[in-house]
Amino acid sequence: MKPPAFDYVCARSLDEAIDALGRRPGEAKILAGGQSLTPMLNFRLAHPGMLVDINRIPGIDAIRDDDGGVRIGTLARHRAIEVSDSIRKKFPILTAAAAHVGHLAIRNRGTFGGSIAHADPAAEWPMLALLLDAQIEAKGPQGARTIPAREFFTTFLTTALGDAEILTEVKLPALPAKTGWGFEELSRRPGDFALAAVAAIVTLDGKTIKDARISMGGVGGTPLRAPGAEALLRGKPADAALFEQAGKKAAEESDPSNDVHATADYRRHLVSVLTRRALTSAAEKAAQG
Amino acid sequence: MAVTKLVGARVTRVEDPRFLCGQARYVEGIQLPGMLHIAYVRSAHAHARILAVDAKQAEALPGVHRVFTGADIASLGPMGQPFRADVFPHPVFKQCVWPCLATGKVRYVGEPIAAVLADTRYIAEDAAELVEVQYDPLPAVIDPEAALLPGAALLHEEFGDNVVMKVSGGGGDADAALRGAALVVRDRFRTNRHCAMPMEGRATLAAPGPDGDLTLWTSTQTPHLVRSRVAAIMGFPEQKLRVVGPDVGGGFGLKCHVFAEEVLACFFAREVGRPVKWIEDRREHFLGSFHAKDLVVDCEMGFDADGTLLGMRADIIGDLGAYSADPWPSPFEALQLAAALPGPYRVRHYAYDVRCVCTNKTTLSVYRGVGLPAAVLVQEQLMDVAARKLGLDPAEIRRRNLIAPSEFPYDSITGLHYDSSSSSDALEKGLAAIDYDGFRARQRAAREQGRLLGIGICTYIEMTTFGTHYWAPLGIEHSAYESATVRFDAQGGVTLSVGTFSHGQGHHTTYAQMLADELGIAIEDVRFEQGDTSATAYGWGTWGSRSVVAGGGAVVGAARKVRDKMMRIASHVLEVAPEDLEIAPGKIVVKGAPQRSLAVREIARIAVYSSWRLPPGEDPGLEATQYYDPPPVTFANATHIAEVEIDPGTGRVEIPRYLVVEDCGVMINPRIVEAQVVGGIAQGLGNALYEHHLYDENGQLLTTSLMDYLVPTAADVPDVRVEHIETPTPLTVNGVKGMGEGGSIGAPAAVLNAVADALAPFGASVRELPLHPERVWRLIHESGSDTRA
Repeated sequence: MKPPAFDYVCARSLDEAIDALGRRPGEAKILAGGQSLTPMLNFRLAHPGMLVDINRIPGIDAIRDDDGGVRIGTLARHRAIEVSDSIRKKFPILTAAAAHVGHLAIRNRGTFGGSIAHADPAAEWPMLALLLDAQIEAKGPQGARTIPAREFFTTFLTTALGDAEILTEVKLPALPAKTGWGFEELSRRPGDFALAAVAAIVTLDGKTIKDARISMGGVGGTPLRAPGAEALLRGKPADAALFEQAGKKAAEESDPSNDVHATADYRRHLVSVLTRRALTSAAEKAAQG
Repeated sequence: MAVTKLVGARVTRVEDPRFLCGQARYVEGIQLPGMLHIAYVRSAHAHARILAVDAKQAEALPGVHRVFTGADIASLGPMGQPFRADVFPHPVFKQCVWPCLATGKVRYVGEPIAAVLADTRYIAEDAAELVEVQYDPLPAVIDPEAALLPGAALLHEEFGDNVVMKVSGGGGDADAALRGAALVVRDRFRTNRHCAMPMEGRATLAAPGPDGDLTLWTSTQTPHLVRSRVAAIMGFPEQKLRVVGPDVGGGFGLKCHVFAEEVLACFFAREVGRPVKWIEDRREHFLGSFHAKDLVVDCEMGFDADGTLLGMRADIIGDLGAYSADPWPSPFEALQLAAALPGPYRVRHYAYDVRCVCTNKTTLSVYRGVGLPAAVLVQEQLMDVAARKLGLDPAEIRRRNLIAPSEFPYDSITGLHYDSSSSSDALEKGLAAIDYDGFRARQRAAREQGRLLGIGICTYIEMTTFGTHYWAPLGIEHSAYESATVRFDAQGGVTLSVGTFSHGQGHHTTYAQMLADELGIAIEDVRFEQGDTSATAYGWGTWGSRSVVAGGGAVVGAARKVRDKMMRIASHVLEVAPEDLEIAPGKIVVKGAPQRSLAVREIARIAVYSSWRLPPGEDPGLEATQYYDPPPVTFANATHIAEVEIDPGTGRVEIPRYLVVEDCGVMINPRIVEAQVVGGIAQGLGNALYEHHLYDENGQLLTTSLMDYLVPTAADVPDVRVEHIETPTPLTVNGVKGMGEGGSIGAPAAVLNAVADALAPFGASVRELPLHPERVWRLIHESGSDTRA
């Protein structure tokens, strides 16, 4: 379990990193926290010709308030998100989900941008970026651009980023008033990848659901929204029977597969249970807020 | 007698600072000049003929020193002998041939085919990828029952079938007992193949010496046994081979074997004349280190109408994987299961059949608890099933069948001599401590709210120690005595050398407590030496919960020889008869006149430094060696009680409470006993909830990383309450019994019974581990009941 040989570049600026990536198109990999890349190297599942280390680039790890929302720098460590007051206030669902990201040692090292760019469908940040309609900012040889989360995750471990493009920052737009959240994940042990996870936000107008969003992890090639279930909820009074129905609909919209930990059938069942629980929790919080 | 009384005290482990502060020295930490690194090329196929091995490209890579293949080994003298001869010459056991590097054929994925020796492990692994092996794949036999079918592919053609051992046993008339029973419960249990998974994998470093001698540092539990076996397999003079076990990061039975990689390291070092190191990586550990607990058990138990167990029968299939381990043969797990199945209950009629079969999977051998966890699982779950059918509480059916305290010593139907036990006391103490009746009330109330609570009881009696005369009747060639040397220096410090091998058990502390009481010294006076065959007398290492009995017996024996001499010296100096002297902390005093004394340090100085002051005729020096052969078996016992809550929506199992009442006889150090119990429970919970090796139909192991094969972390182990009973055995020095494996024996059955208890309203039959969320959810769901939460 020793990695094959590779070249190593320690970039001091984004431009330097982009330049290095551009010189070895398709062959270079970005090293951020190394949370997923290092095991893949050691298992020899990845054979990059070059690693571009971005850990020493200054200023790309900030968490900043922005127009009621927040902007999270690509190199922000999971732990920084977990303990950020600003995030706790505006997106407490991230604070709650952070506790499910690996273990403390991993959270001290792994990065927000790295997790989203790696695009593991069972990881927490990609599914939350999708839930919160994040705007993902990237910079490459052709300049900077913004990619909506819905267009970012293309297929298993694959994103809309180009070869020499770096994810630089993620913008999470402000949530409307009277919005509550629910996050439900089942993993074999705390810190493991989810067998299934469901995140939901519900915005209420009195007792009526004005808007609802559902995002699912671990049950498809990418994180998934459940548009059918979301549509089912909109404009209806929040109640247990409706949430049960939405859970079943979300399960239909999931696309899980089998692995050593669980079958697709069971994962689909989990989606329905976890969706019901997440919606119930979200509606309760929305009613209180 | 001793007056300091450290035996029984909750002494903090003296070895902890070295491990907690990063001062421990493992094989990986040893660097020698000119050292080469080994990477093994391992089979990609479960079953295939090897047509060709081409190492030309690998050998051409800069930094590669040499590549060895099976053909190289086979052509070179005694090393061409199979890696085992007659370690278990059982009349009905077929001993297979296991070459150190495969020749002709591979029989499991991960079998070593070639070894690359290079300047760094990185280069060695790069080169290993360049070794081209041409295979002719053969049909793979994965399922042990399929291996029994006519026409199944044969692993070892010379045997004519895949059954390497077939034995029957028992006693009484099981058929008649079952025929006459008012209730017969029967079920099939399939235990989950899993493995030891120590934090440190296997590791070897072999170095040639100037006089044609060899030193092997290896991560082992049994340095002397490794020395004898490696020397025999290599055809090398044993006096020229030194084996050193440095600090070892866990063994759990895996490392009481001798491995091809240990033989090969010595062989390569001799061939290339340089030190060679191999550190097993985690993936190799999954593929190449022995697995365990792969058993199919069909068992039936007959009861009369009031719940008295009348008789039982078991049909056991042990899946050994591809080969048989050396020198503890792989059938031992299934054989021990058969012997232990009657457990702590009065059983007078029992019959069993055991078949051990080969399959194209990693070789199986002993791992913590060996056959006991499965035996206890079967026995204890069927007890609960019978109780449910008879309308009895699980506690009550146990009360009616446990061997009563007055019946000990008790000879079991399988020939085990239970010298002493407190099974029924442990059960009652456990029920009271966990408020069993109160739990039943809470359980009823919770069920009204749709919550699933369950409680599981497991009572067991556990074989420990395993002296020479346990093995001899089985036909095992080797022994299992123990040795200790106690040696004073001129300042009064003591070096204790032992043949056991602590790899986490805290022997330094435990033995020092025993020595302190015998010799009037302090724990910090004791320097501890183990694991180096050039510094210790022959011993058999640490396994089978043997050390406190076997090693402790030798330590106390050696100490008493030294103490007798100390008394003679004190008697001479103080001019008092030896029978009028006694040991006090730091000195020997005159009984009734404690102001008259001689310091232990002074006695040591006389014996070692100023020997002209010795009594006439007394030899200089203050040291003694004791060899000690412990009783064949000592029996510890325990009751485990687990409480679970199951999420009906997901099947997830939580363990809010876990209680153990254990009895390992006299405890030397309760703190160490408790830590050992909890550590064992952590492993037992791995068995119960997480660990499972899965193979696909082609024999590819699907669980080769710690993401796929899950072990409990510290965060996944519930708080465990440990209570004690001390029932001394008359068979041992100090009345101690073995302990260490017990936690892993009780936990799987306790958790399984608790889950079955929680799911009883659904009529679910719980027979397989691990109880991962999906399995539990299906047990609920497939009973056709409502799964809402």
